[in-house]
Order: sequence, then structure tokens, then C-alpha cells
Amino acid sequence: MSDPDVLGKENKKVVLLGNEAIARGALEAGMGLSACYPGTPSSEVGITLSSVAKKQGFYFEWSTNEKVAFEVCAGASYSGVRSLTALKHFGLNVASDSVFPVVFTGVRGGLVIMVADDPLGHSSAQSEQDTRFYARMGKIPTLEPSNVQEAKDFTKLAFDISEKYEIPVILRTTTLVSHSAGTVKLGKIKKPKTKGKFVKDYDRFYNIRPNLQKMHANLIKKLERIENEYEKLNTVEGNGRIGIITSGVSYQYVKELGNLLGVKIGKLSLTHPISRNFVANFIKNLEKVIVVEELEPIVENFVRGVAKDVNPGVEIHGKDILPRVGEYTPDILLEALSPILNIKKPDFSKHEANLKKIKLPVRKPVFCPGCPHRSTFYAVKKVLGENVVWAGDIGCYVLGIFEPFKMQDFVISMGASMGVTHGIKKVSDQKVVVFIGDSTFFHAGMPGLVNIKTHGTKPLVIIMDNGITAMTGHQPHPGSSFTGMGEKRIPMKIEDIVKSFGIKNVRVVNAFNQKELQSVIREFSKQDELGVIISRGLCTLLMKRMVRAKGGQFSTFEIAPGKSHRVSRLVKEFACPAIIKKGDEVYIKEDMCWGCGVCSQLVEKGVIVPRKRRKK
Amino acid sequence: MTYNVLLTGVGGEGVLMTSVIVARAANIEGYEVRGTQFHGLAQRGGSIPTQIRFGKKIYSPMIPRAQADLILGLEPIEAARACFYASKERTNFIVDTYPVKPVYLNLLGHIYPSNEEIRRMITPFAKKSIFVDASNICEEKFGNPIYGNVMAIGVALSSGMLPLSKKSVMKSIKETVPGRAIRVNMTAFDMGLKFKG
Repeated sequence: MSDPDVLGKENKKVVLLGNEAIARGALEAGMGLSACYPGTPSSEVGITLSSVAKKQGFYFEWSTNEKVAFEVCAGASYSGVRSLTALKHFGLNVASDSVFPVVFTGVRGGLVIMVADDPLGHSSAQSEQDTRFYARMGKIPTLEPSNVQEAKDFTKLAFDISEKYEIPVILRTTTLVSHSAGTVKLGKIKKPKTKGKFVKDYDRFYNIRPNLQKMHANLIKKLERIENEYEKLNTVEGNGRIGIITSGVSYQYVKELGNLLGVKIGKLSLTHPISRNFVANFIKNLEKVIVVEELEPIVENFVRGVAKDVNPGVEIHGKDILPRVGEYTPDILLEALSPILNIKKPDFSKHEANLKKIKLPVRKPVFCPGCPHRSTFYAVKKVLGENVVWAGDIGCYVLGIFEPFKMQDFVISMGASMGVTHGIKKVSDQKVVVFIGDSTFFHAGMPGLVNIKTHGTKPLVIIMDNGITAMTGHQPHPGSSFTGMGEKRIPMKIEDIVKSFGIKNVRVVNAFNQKELQSVIREFSKQDELGVIISRGLCTLLMKRMVRAKGGQFSTFEIAPGKSHRVSRLVKEFACPAIIKKGDEVYIKEDMCWGCGVCSQLVEKGVIVPRKRRKK
Repeated sequence: MTYNVLLTGVGGEGVLMTSVIVARAANIEGYEVRGTQFHGLAQRGGSIPTQIRFGKKIYSPMIPRAQADLILGLEPIEAARACFYASKERTNFIVDTYPVKPVYLNLLGHIYPSNEEIRRMITPFAKKSIFVDASNICEEKFGNPIYGNVMAIGVALSSGMLPLSKKSVMKSIKETVPGRAIRVNMTAFDMGLKFKG
């Protein structure tokens, strides 16, 4: 769960997070380059690789977006160097445009695309999505680890398959694999091969007809060979007339049901292409088969197809008894499978009744104390009021969706605030404000803003620049002053980029200065022109870490004696976790205040004041 | 034997680090370890339940309903929120009584329950429960409530609610916390060991 474990010696048993184990697997495979864009639940793969890249001697970068990241990996792989990109499911949407052609050309050095799906949306608000469809659409072999040990082992295996068959391989996880912890027996770290050479090859790279059709036919043959060779990765346990076919973390939940007598369990590790032979042998003598897979009935439909040929009478269950929505748990499986498997289910009626008696206040995520975004949202609302369409985007500022702001009227995908806003402005006279973060601006916001400028709508665009990709744990972007290798670089200035689009109305403001913020917002909102305000303030969490690392302290604020009543409205309007109401008294909690001082600007002078240092 | 520990609290309280300390200690003792850790929103004041299971052979990373052996709640209402995993037959509770009140309390007009109310909610799900003012004690002693979590592990050990040895937990703390914080964490752990509930 830290560098020493990830870099542990061969045969040592350590506890790793699924994503850390994937990073270790890449080290054991001798990967020479990795390029990622962060996205939870995949982020810790890149975070881990970034933290050890220099020491281990391979190259790592946080690319501007997932498509670029994948392309960087493809370039390395074309040149014979093993590479890996790690993305969340939405990241694959972004990268897919380049992924599909690279599957056609094939690769040289092993190329692994680690994709983390997030059923239930622990850290993905926008949709539930099943990456296994991409595997089919893109004809990409896909391995699915069911636990942390397999996460490591399958990563290494994915490199081998990729290199042997010259095809990118998807390593698909879900949150409960990526963000689960587990004991891992480590293998040997291989010295990375970091140098290669791009060799021209007409037959391989000229993907124009008629060569394209040759490539396609070749690709189909590759998949057949992979299906045959790696049927052996799938396993069968137990014996009986009832069978369960499962994969990924669902396999662990099936095993959690206990010793199932008369039940045979088939575990698929290669879920694309699914071995037809394996499934046929598995189901041919069964009376019943249950397919346990989260999200879409992909394996189930495959099994139904095979059953028609080899065992038409078999009773098949899947999405008729198990949900297609959300994430599975051991309890969901117990509930759904116990009637068919004749398992005695504990009586939870009393348990349920007692749970119903527990009434607790909700705890939604909030902006951290000292967050520049809180200050920006507050100022915008103060100046523009409620009658505005608030275009949202992806980043910490999405938390503006909650009270007291409620200023994210829609959240679609990275950078989508720009395009959707332009569409609204073209057909309506409503005032629209775009909120977009710095990393998201670089990722996919720029084309949208260019489009707005080109086609002449006039929303107010607020780029909330906190200097870092914050929500996923502080990865650098082009506007940050360091790289994924931990080296210094000169950051790009968002204002220079925006001005270069020909946008005249561009202003940088200090996100922690309410007076400046409010006056610029007022000024811009009166102009009948496209305006871009860059509200700049370093992520306070990052600032806090930097100060602490240097052994520094924060100046914090307190409410002057007897002035508590003058602050009480801020409890509701500003919602800073450090401003606490206890009975009728309001106070600022010292260990939570990070000294941004914005609250002190929202009340009369002398009400909220710098805290006097007490000697301990 | 499978031993199921659920650790819960609020982002920033050190729940993740505490779970790493417990997981590492179990690993040191040669158990197979599995568990869940939800990253992403922890720093932003959300509730953050993590689960650690250890034993000879573990499958699911997630604890099945009512099968927790120990719920270590570093925040009272978060401890009560975990009762889905608890049962009178099996579950011990250690609750740090230090409240981290949700910001939405005032916005939505919710009321934060008293310790007595929390105790009443937990009782039908608890074999035994210990309420300890760990974070407050640590705030007074070290000027920072953050060490309350390591003190709570000490309480779990001395009360027999966590079947791990003092030696392996100490080794785990040393491997887990940053160098400059080892001494104060050891002191907090020791305070937990000596705690009389």
C-alpha cells in the first residue's frame, strides 16, 4: 500500500490495492512507457507508476486526455516498447477513436489498456457503462481479474498475449477489483526496455482498402487463435447438474456462498473472445446454468447461443434473477441464487426492522475548507442571482451540484459544458454560465471554446483554475509546474491559450478575493460579448500538503468575541466545513480552517479575524 | 476463521491509514487479507467505510450482511451507519465519540444525534460496544485529534476485539506512518492499550 510494497522483493507477500497490483504487474512485464489521464477508479495505477517511474527507469506521463495517452502508448508499442495506459470506462470512450484502428494495425511491443468500470458509480456520476461491449466492437482480447493477485498476474499475462499476437489487450476491472485490497505474492521485476525503433511496414500500417479488408480478416483469425490458446485460463470447480458461469469479482461472491454441493462453477478469465469450446463442455450435461455477471447480459447471451447447439433443454438464468443495474454484493447473490441452489438464507426480517429505526443525517461530499471553487460559486451566485443556466463539467466543482449552490444544471462528459452551452445559446436567449476546470479545459474544453468563438455565441465562461487535476488526487496537467516524472516544467498559461483563439474579453482573477471576483463577474456579465474569466487559486488540499511538507503552519481565522450572530448566515450560504454552528453560537474550528480568509471578506470588518497564535 | 473488520469515519480522519495499519498487521501474521477501500471523495468530507477481512482463505473483498466481527467507528454517526454489517451474535463496536458534523446538518435542518441515541441505535446490533473519546483525548494530549484512530486500534487490541498481536501492530505502524509521526502514533497506540472502558 505504498512504494516499498509495490517494489517489494520476489516471492514476498504484501497487501496491495488492486490498482497498485496492476502497476506492479507492469513492472514485472518490463513495461517501458506508460501514459495515462486520471479517472477514478483507475487513477491509482498511474499514481503508483508515476511515483516509481524515475527509480525504476521507465517513462511515465499524465497526458492531456485519454485519447492522447493511448496514442502515446501506441507509438511506443509500434516502436517495440511495452506500454500501458490506465483509464476509467469513460476514458475509453474518449480513447476509442484511436483504439479501434490500432487493433487493426496491430502492435509490436505489448500494449495493455487497463479499463476500470464503475458499476454503482462510486466515483462516476454520468452513466453506468459496460466496457465489455467495446471489447466486442473493437475486437479486443479482454482479461478480467477477480482479485488483487490476479490483477497483478493478468497484467503481466496481458503484455505477453499482446506481444505474441501483436494486438492491444484490455485488462478490465471493476471498482471492487481496482479499489479492493488483497494479499499478493510478488513476482520478479523485469528491467524495463525503454528504447525502440519505428520500422516502416506498408502491409501493417496502410489501412486503406483493399489492405484494410486483409487486416480485418487477419484480425478475426488472431482472435480465433487467442480463443483457442487461452481457453486454458478459464477454470472449473466442483461437480453437479447445476452450473454457475461467472467472472471478475462476481466469482468471489459466488465462492462466498460457501461449499455448494452439486454445483459446478466455471470462471471465465478471458471474457473476450469467450471460448465457445469451454462453454459448450461446461453446459452440455447441465440441467440448469446461472450466469453471474454485473451490468449487461453479455456472457448470458453467449451461453444462450451455445446452448442452442449443445444442450437446448438447459434452463438458463441470468438477468431474470439478478439485476442489470448497479453493483453486485455477496448479499445480492445470496438473495437471488438461494432458491435455485437450495441454500438456507438467514432470516433478516428483524435485522431489517432494526435498520429501519436508524435515522441519521446525510453526509454528502462537500468542498474542502479553503477550496477556491466555493469562493467562485459564491461570488457568481451573489452577482448573477438564480435566473441563469449553469453549465457543469467534470471535476471537483461538480460538487457545486449540491446545496447551497446547486449550480451544475447538467454534467455530461469532459469538456461538454462548452458544446452544450453553445447549443442552448443558439436556440434560446437565456443567460448561460460555463463552469469548467483547468485540467478539463486542456482535456476537451479547448475545442468547445474554439467552436463557441467561431460560431459566435456569447456565454460567460468561468475557468476554475486550481493548478492541478484535483479530484483524482493531484495529477499535473499542462498548466502545472511539474511532470508525471516529478520533474519541473514551465506551465502553460490558460489565459494565453484563450487569447490566442481571438477572444478579447479575458481576465484572470484571484479566486480568494471576493471583491475582485464579484466586480469582474459584474463587469463581464454586462458586456454583450464572449467573456472568459479565469478564477485562479491553488487547490487548498495541495497547498496544505506543500506547507506541511516544509514543516510550515497555517494562519487561521476566528470569530471575534460576541460577533457570532453576524456569521450565522454564512453557515447556510457559504457552507464551509470549518464554520460550525453549536446551538446559537457559531465558531470556526481551528484544525479545519486552512486560512483562505474568504469568509472574513463576506462579513463586516472585524467580525472574522486572523487567529492569534497561542503558545502550547 | 475469517475475521471481518469494518472501519469507518469521515474523509480526513485517517480511516484509510488505519485500515492499512490493520491490513499490514494481519499480513505480518501470515493471514490472507482482502478488503475494500473506496477512494475518490474521501478528502471532500464524505463518509468513508473501508473493510478488512483476514483469515486462512478469503474470497469476497466485501463483508456479507451482519457478518462484521468489529466495527471501528472513528465517527459516531458513521459507526451507526455501518449497522447493516453488524449483528448481536457477532459484532463488537468501538466508537470514537468525536463528532464530525456534516455541513448539510444546518442546510437541511437535520439534527445530529447524541451519544446516547447512537448507543440506542447500535445496541440491537452489538455484542459489546465501547465508546471512547479517543480523538478528544489525543487532541488534548498531542494537539491533534488525528491520532485518535491509532489509539482506537489500541483499544481494540486490549479489549480482545481485534485478534492481532501488539508486536505485529507496532511493526505495521512503523511501516505505515511517516517517520516523524512514528513516536506520537506509538504513544497513542499505547494509550489505547491502557484504556479502561
